[in-house]
Amino acid sequence: MPINNLKWWRSAISLILIPGSQLLGADRLGERDEDSSKRVLELLRSNCFKCHGASDPKAGLRLDRLQVDLQKHADAARQWQLVLSAIRDNEMPPAKEKQLTADDRAYLVKWIEAELERFVESSSADRPALRRKLTRMEYQNTMRDLLQIEMDFARDLPADPISSDGFSNDSRLLELTPVHLEAYLKCARSALQRVVVSHPRPEQFHHRFDRSNVSSWLGEAHIASELGRQQQFLAKIETDYPEQGEFLVRVAVEAKLQSNCGFPLLEVSVGYQPDTEILFREFPVAEVNAPGDHLYEFKGRIEDFPLPVRGQGKIPGLVVRVRNVYDDGSKLPKGAKGKDKKFAYPAEPHLPVLHVQSVEFHGPTFDTWPPAHHANIVTKDASDQQVRRSDVRRILSRFARRAFRRPVLDKEVDSLLKFHDRIKGGFPKIEDAIRETLAFVLIQPDFLFFPGAQQPPSVQTKSRPTGDWELASKLSYFLWSSMPDERLFDLADAGLLKQPRILRSEVERMLSSPKSSAFLEQFPDRWLSLDLIDNVEISREFHPNFNARLKIDMVGESRAFFTEMVRVNRSIQDFLLADFTMLNEPLARHYGVPGVFGVKFRHVQIPAGQHRGGLLGQAGFLLAGSTGADSHPVRRAVWIRDRLLGDPPPPPPANVPSLDSIDPKFHQLPMREKLQAHRQDPSCASCHRDLDPWGIALENYDAVGLWRTEVRSKQGDKMVTSPVVAKDSFSNGSELDGPDQLKERLACDYGDQFARSLMRRLLTYALGRSLDLRDQKSVKALDERFAAAGYRMRDMVQLVVSSELFNKHAHEEKILAP
Amino acid sequence: MKKKSWHLDRRSFLRGTGLFGAGVSLGLPWLECMGSEKSKAKEVAKRFCAMYFGFGVSLPSAKGGDAKWRWFPKSEGADYQPSHTLEPTQPLRDKLTVLGGLSHPMGRKMGAHDTADTFLTGAYLNNKFLRNTVSADQIAAMSLRDKTRFPSLVISTDGGVGEPTRSSTLSYDATGRPIPALNQPLQVFNRFFGAGDEDLIAEHRLLQSKASMLDRILADAKSMRLRLGNQDQQKLDEYLSSVRQIEQGVERAQKWMEIPRPKLRDEERDMLRLDADDKEPLVFIRTMYDLVYLAFRTDSTRVATYQITNMADGSSKAGKFPQLEGFKSSLHSLAHDYDKPGGSEALGRWDRLMVEQFSYFISRLANAPDQGGSVLDNSVVLYGSSNSTTHNNSNYPLLLAGGANLGLKHGRHMRLPESVPLSNLLLTMLNCVGVETERFADSTDRLADLTRA
Repeated sequence: MPINNLKWWRSAISLILIPGSQLLGADRLGERDEDSSKRVLELLRSNCFKCHGASDPKAGLRLDRLQVDLQKHADAARQWQLVLSAIRDNEMPPAKEKQLTADDRAYLVKWIEAELERFVESSSADRPALRRKLTRMEYQNTMRDLLQIEMDFARDLPADPISSDGFSNDSRLLELTPVHLEAYLKCARSALQRVVVSHPRPEQFHHRFDRSNVSSWLGEAHIASELGRQQQFLAKIETDYPEQGEFLVRVAVEAKLQSNCGFPLLEVSVGYQPDTEILFREFPVAEVNAPGDHLYEFKGRIEDFPLPVRGQGKIPGLVVRVRNVYDDGSKLPKGAKGKDKKFAYPAEPHLPVLHVQSVEFHGPTFDTWPPAHHANIVTKDASDQQVRRSDVRRILSRFARRAFRRPVLDKEVDSLLKFHDRIKGGFPKIEDAIRETLAFVLIQPDFLFFPGAQQPPSVQTKSRPTGDWELASKLSYFLWSSMPDERLFDLADAGLLKQPRILRSEVERMLSSPKSSAFLEQFPDRWLSLDLIDNVEISREFHPNFNARLKIDMVGESRAFFTEMVRVNRSIQDFLLADFTMLNEPLARHYGVPGVFGVKFRHVQIPAGQHRGGLLGQAGFLLAGSTGADSHPVRRAVWIRDRLLGDPPPPPPANVPSLDSIDPKFHQLPMREKLQAHRQDPSCASCHRDLDPWGIALENYDAVGLWRTEVRSKQGDKMVTSPVVAKDSFSNGSELDGPDQLKERLACDYGDQFARSLMRRLLTYALGRSLDLRDQKSVKALDERFAAAGYRMRDMVQLVVSSELFNKHAHEEKILAP
Repeated sequence: MKKKSWHLDRRSFLRGTGLFGAGVSLGLPWLECMGSEKSKAKEVAKRFCAMYFGFGVSLPSAKGGDAKWRWFPKSEGADYQPSHTLEPTQPLRDKLTVLGGLSHPMGRKMGAHDTADTFLTGAYLNNKFLRNTVSADQIAAMSLRDKTRFPSLVISTDGGVGEPTRSSTLSYDATGRPIPALNQPLQVFNRFFGAGDEDLIAEHRLLQSKASMLDRILADAKSMRLRLGNQDQQKLDEYLSSVRQIEQGVERAQKWMEIPRPKLRDEERDMLRLDADDKEPLVFIRTMYDLVYLAFRTDSTRVATYQITNMADGSSKAGKFPQLEGFKSSLHSLAHDYDKPGGSEALGRWDRLMVEQFSYFISRLANAPDQGGSVLDNSVVLYGSSNSTTHNNSNYPLLLAGGANLGLKHGRHMRLPESVPLSNLLLTMLNCVGVETERFADSTDRLADLTRA
């Protein structure tokens, strides 16, 4: 297998496992003495230093400097691990060099294995942190679930760091800088301002519009009640609208559908700040997928929308805009001024229409005053200034328990109460001081990190083992990227969550909840690097008809595909070989798949010869692996090696030579020849010869993921075409020709490797840290269980949750006295 | 009315500030904040600033047909002939120096795309040693922080900290932790020029309460430590060090609370495009430069770093910048293809476009009057990359501008031998802004030539 030629090089230890059974024999060499180390050094010197010594070390690996004493030099362990697998698997020394004798090879292997085993046993004190800071998304969701309001909580937080595994939840990298802490406090204060109210019941406004009450609008606007692609319904409220609180827009429409096209898409926007560029904020679009009358409700916080400045602008007032944003991609007809001097676009009878019957605006909305989210936290009437200290204690205790995601100790509540006592004199109202104390809870490490600091022994009783609380948090951050819900809290409280049967059914329940979209979207995004799609700008010259909005649907396809894999517990082989994919109308139109209407993704069977199905036919990854004008085979190849096989090639070396020295006409060559010329340079060839063929095999897909048999390129000002060549060979002579062979090769020859790689990605995501040598035994055990269970995706999630690694809890860690 | 207005501006606009129009320098902020201490009022506000772009520049042979697009000028010394790329700087020729030959010795040992992280630190990173060291700008910030409302302004195109070796920030604190960069103009604007709370009493109350929070956290920390294992203690320490830093910030905020936020002039507000983002690269870059300029002009901070582009390639928002400005390929491909036919011109055009933006920035600083001259005369400004051409971690293309009042002599193209570490330049810049130190990172000496005529 060509890939093995490179495998030993890389620093990812994930695929390399110590066969533990061989280590405990009578002739164990673990008693590291001078003589054995000397012999090892001697063997390495005479067999390895030529290429991995001081001068121009191959692959940047220097063995002459590698520390022998692993107990003192933990960093060396990783490199020894690489050396071990290279020697054990007969990959090194390379075939053309002098070989080790069988005895010497065995000696080296045993010595390294024993040293590594000793290292693993002795280094448990150096474990990675078991707690980690909430990511941006986890913070957003936790605040939403804790405070039960919608808000852009994470707005001011800086982006999370990305680990080399591709994930943004790596406990080692997630740092809490002063910038973060400032943002947490600011956000907590402004969110609590919304949750805990201290003003009297506000005036409510109610409006109803049967037709647009705006006659002229910016640009060439066609204002109407019959909404096609270019019409809009505008309702303006000049002065009687709220500036804070929740509001509701209710829209009554009649849908008129057409055959052979999709459904109308109802878009409602609110705002109008005429003196900025930001005019509106849109609600998520609603698809009206049945004919006849419908009533839709949209809810929001008015503060989150661009409000007009009272008394300013030519057209003062708050505006609600309704549009039908369905577009079949056909050319837009031109508009003109009619006899009534009003601008209009012609009707398009082949497209679906929304007839707006009425638009209502209500706000601020609340069922009771104070509103429920207030009453849930502050249990007494807000206007009551006679709140007793015991009430405050109860409020804080309840809130802290949910915020810390575990039972709280009396002395922890005491500390909060002390803070409250200290500041309350400075605030005019009791709610202000409570709000401030709750904000204080929201910057505590026990809130910002999870699982929170461990329970002191006093509350660890048999009936309430703290491991349950930790497990509840870990589980909910894995599958929901948020705090546990009441049911998980209850199960943890009762000490039941750890029971395998209950744990299993909880995972099922959580995966079926809408909150699992956090996992079902985030994991494929990071695993498959779907976010890179935004960083590629599609060339208008090569792809004049490409609509950038398709990128969203491309990401949607891969997410929906992963979701489907989990939902119906499909074999992970389908990631490579599936005969279906998940499509919606715009993407199906892009691919040329007929008969798919509507924006929702659904399972679409792909007939043989259609070149879709499985990850490798999905446009998102293909586009991310492009230059925007043409395919980028090296990037696609790296993606396959890294993301699917867990075996990324090393990064390009410093001081890469100029390719023109090889062939002055280089730039005119077709892609494959370009890469072949590239590989004539030995310093490039050592990596590229076994990398490029993986990407070349996908040459039938262009930059936007469409199938092609000809490659278009520019020569001077001329666009020229040449036939696609998707065939290339690895250094061992084996050939790979086209996507079908590629899929087959991956599924047949690399199926296990793919499964192991996916298991490691999922574990890395679930644990929030990269795996290391010490995890190997547990990971290997999981691999075996996964194989035995038949490689199914939903099973994989269950296996990870039930694994030893996932259930190793912080409270079991030894307490290190200062 | 086509006036753009923002939270603060709207208020200020109504008040009619700026009625006196351009050219009138409102009571200079450094006079206000230094209060009655007259002796200090004469002190020059010294500023430190660094801009970075990734992947190096176009360097075709100086003799071939594409020589025009070679970034470095042809000749050295005071009579140097500017390259076509550097022409936009020439109106300020006597305010800047072109530097060639410098690089970080550690950087030369690092991966081809790994050196953006160490541009201002000089540290050594590889895939096992990812801990950076303090950046020069933050050393300057530690020394200058008490003089302004904000210790430093850290911005970049991608924002946050990014991935180690592909960081999206130039700045690292005293312990080598990356400082998250802001990347939304509106975020920067609100932080530096936003209204704050209109109600001073309420603001004061919140500040008091914040101080109490931080107090209590530090008081509770001891018992918390006992409950944690080794690695988690490190996380807690990280948290506590942030608490302590904010605590200092609270003290500073209390001091600054009485002093009103700086007011921007009408024309300054009008030209800001706070909604700019990575979809419109030139507008975005210009807006970021404008914000640095305003932060300096109003003396809101004296230290700024701006990572314009980095070497994260496909994972950076900047990768597509050239295409959005009508170039044929992404930044990385432009850089890679500079030695292909037509490639040196393509990259050269991009280089020049970037130089135009930078020239715009320094000319704004040069046109802003300040103690003893202009803001530029009291600032040291570094602009450059950590690659010469892509993948080459030596011979950084660098421009050093400003600082005429701080001892710098300009108007030359200086080439230095590779034996001179870039840290010597950073050390010299630090000395210029009053940091009295003999060393920075792996520096061996000052770059004395810069201060000699």
